[in-house]
Amino acid sequence: MKKFLKWALFVIVVVATCGFLAFLYFIPPFFLTPPETFGKAMADAAPTVADIADPAERAIAERGRYIVMTTGCNGCHAVVGPRGPDLSKYLGGGGLKIQTPHATYVSRNLTPDKETGLARRTDDEVKRIMRSGTFIDGHVVAGTAMPWPVFSNWTEEDRHAVVVYLRHLKPLRHATPEPVPGNAITIPGAVEQDYGGKDYGSSK
Amino acid sequence: MNVAGYRFVYAAALLAAAAASSLARLQAQPQGKNVYDAHCVECHGESGRGDGPSAAYVTPRPRDFTSGKYKIRSTETGSVPTGDDLMQSVRQGLYGTTMPGWARILSDDDIRDVVEYIKGLSPQFASPPRAVTVGAGVPSSPDSITRGLQVYDRLQCGKCHGSDGRGTGAVATAFEDDWKQPLRAPDLTEPWTFHGGATSRDVFLRFRTGMAGTPMPSFADAASENEMWDLANYIVSLARKPIWTMNADEIKDFYARQEADAKANPVKRGAYLVETLGCVMCHSPVDELKRVLPGMRLAGGLPMRIDPFGAYPTGNLTSDRATGLGDWSDDEIKRAITKGTLPNGTRLLPFPMDYASYSTMKPEDLNAIVAYLRTVPPVSNKVPAPRSTFLPLYLWGKFKFLILGVDPPIVLFSGNAGAKGGL
Repeated sequence: MKKFLKWALFVIVVVATCGFLAFLYFIPPFFLTPPETFGKAMADAAPTVADIADPAERAIAERGRYIVMTTGCNGCHAVVGPRGPDLSKYLGGGGLKIQTPHATYVSRNLTPDKETGLARRTDDEVKRIMRSGTFIDGHVVAGTAMPWPVFSNWTEEDRHAVVVYLRHLKPLRHATPEPVPGNAITIPGAVEQDYGGKDYGSSK
Repeated sequence: MNVAGYRFVYAAALLAAAAASSLARLQAQPQGKNVYDAHCVECHGESGRGDGPSAAYVTPRPRDFTSGKYKIRSTETGSVPTGDDLMQSVRQGLYGTTMPGWARILSDDDIRDVVEYIKGLSPQFASPPRAVTVGAGVPSSPDSITRGLQVYDRLQCGKCHGSDGRGTGAVATAFEDDWKQPLRAPDLTEPWTFHGGATSRDVFLRFRTGMAGTPMPSFADAASENEMWDLANYIVSLARKPIWTMNADEIKDFYARQEADAKANPVKRGAYLVETLGCVMCHSPVDELKRVLPGMRLAGGLPMRIDPFGAYPTGNLTSDRATGLGDWSDDEIKRAITKGTLPNGTRLLPFPMDYASYSTMKPEDLNAIVAYLRTVPPVSNKVPAPRSTFLPLYLWGKFKFLILGVDPPIVLFSGNAGAKGGL
C-alpha cells in the first residue's frame, strides 16, 4: 500500500511538472488579457488637463497629452515597481536602462520636480533635447537610445504642447542616475545592447 | 513587464564610442576635431558626410561637409560660405532643423576651431569665399510689402510655396536635395522655422544667394536688389502668430484648422504621424552604423531578439502585395496597430510594438496612417518567420517573465534579416 502511494505521488509530480512545462510552452504571453486592456491602461495613466485654470494653457496641454500618450513616452520613462511599471507614477523615469560597452543610459524623470525632474531645465532646454538630443552640458544622447531624431519631426508647436503638458504633471521626487560615458558602472537589470549583428538568432 | 517599454531601444552609443576613443587621441589631434567628435558625430557622421546614426530619421538631413555646399551663406552662388557664416550657424543653430544653437554650450574658441575643422573637410574651401554686398536695404512699409507681393507673383514663388505662403495651390509638393533626400518647402507664415533666421536681412540673403543643394535658386539675375528687399519685407509680413502667443480662442481656431487640413489631406497627416511616432526606426533595416539601408525605408526586416520568446524581425509596411501590407484590408492594418493582432490571429507582444499607446489614437488619425501606408512605394522584402530560442532557455525565460514578472530584455541588431535570406 505504502509502495502504491509512493508511486502515485511520483506520477502526480511527473504529470504536474510536464503539465506545467507544456503550459509554459504553449501559453501565449498575456493570453488572458484582452488587447484593449493595455490601451485603456495607457489612456487612464496619462493625467488629464481638466484642472488647468488658464483656457489657453489647457487647450495646448490637451494636445500635448495626446502626443505624449499616443507616442508612448511612458514606455521608457515609467517608474518600475516590483511587478512591472507603476502607472500611477506617470513619467517618473528610471524604468529603462540601456547599457552598452560605451555608455549607460537611464530614462529620466519628466515630471516637473525641482530637484530630480524637469523643473531644473528651461523650456528651451527641454525642447532642444527633444529636437536634437543635446543637453546643456553639451553631451548628445544617442538618437537610438532616446529617439529624438523621431521627435525632431514634430512641428515646433507640437513640441511646445508636449512641454506645456509635462510642466503640468504632478511633481514626483524620483532621482535617476546621470548618464555614464565610458561605462564605468554596471547598473543591475540594464538592457544590454549588442551592435555587432553577428550572433543574431542565437539563444545567448 | 514593461508594457510599452522597449519600442525605441536600439543598439547605439556610436557617439559615446567616438567620445571614448577621442580621449585617447586627445593629444594627437587638433582641438576642432575633438569638439567635432564630442558633439557633431551623432548627426554628421565620423567622416563628416552627414551620415551619422541619427541622420536617416530627420528632415532636412544633416549637412554633408565634404561637399562644401551650404544653404545659409552671405556669399555668391557657387561660393563657399564665410567663416563668420558658419560660426553664426553653429552659434544660433538652424531653426526648424535638428541643428541646435551651441552658443551657450561651446566657447567661441571651440566654435572657431570646429568651423576650421569643418572647412578642412571640403576641398571647395581652397578658393576664398566671395561675399555679396548687402546694402542698406528697403525699410518695411505697406508700399514695400505691396511691391513685394507683386515680385512674389512675378517670380512664381507660389509654385512651391503656394499662393498664401502655406503651400496652397503649390504645383510642386515633393522636393529632394542634391543628395536625393526629402525636403519640405518651408511654410512662409512660420518664421520660427526659417533655418537662417527671419529678419528682412536674413530672408533677403536667401533670395540673393540661393540655398545651395536645394531647389531654392538665387534670384540675383531675376530681380533687382530693391525688389528682393521688397520681397523679403513681404515674406516677413506673412508671419502668423505662433501658438505660444495665442489666446484660447485663437488656439481653438488653430487646432480646428489643423484638423480640417488633416481631414482634407489624410496622407499628409499620416506621413507626419508615421514620422513622429517612430515607425521608421524599427521597421527600416539598417547597416552596421545604424543608417537606414538605401531604398529600404519601412520595408521591415530589422532583427530583434526578445528574450525569452525568440528572434522577431519587424514587418514590411510598404504597399508590396506579396511581402508588405498591400493585401491587408484597412481594418486588418488598424487591428495590428491598435490591438497587436495580425490577420492570422497571432497576438504581438505589447513591446516593442507599442499598440497599447497607439490604441489611444483618434480614429481619424488611424485612418490617416493607413492612408499614408497605402502610398508607400512597394518594396519586395520577405521578412522571415520568427525563430524561437533554445527550448529549455525559452521555458526558463517564460517562467521568469510570466511567473516572476521579470522584464525580457530586447536586443536589436543591424542588418536586414529579409534580404540575407533568413535568420
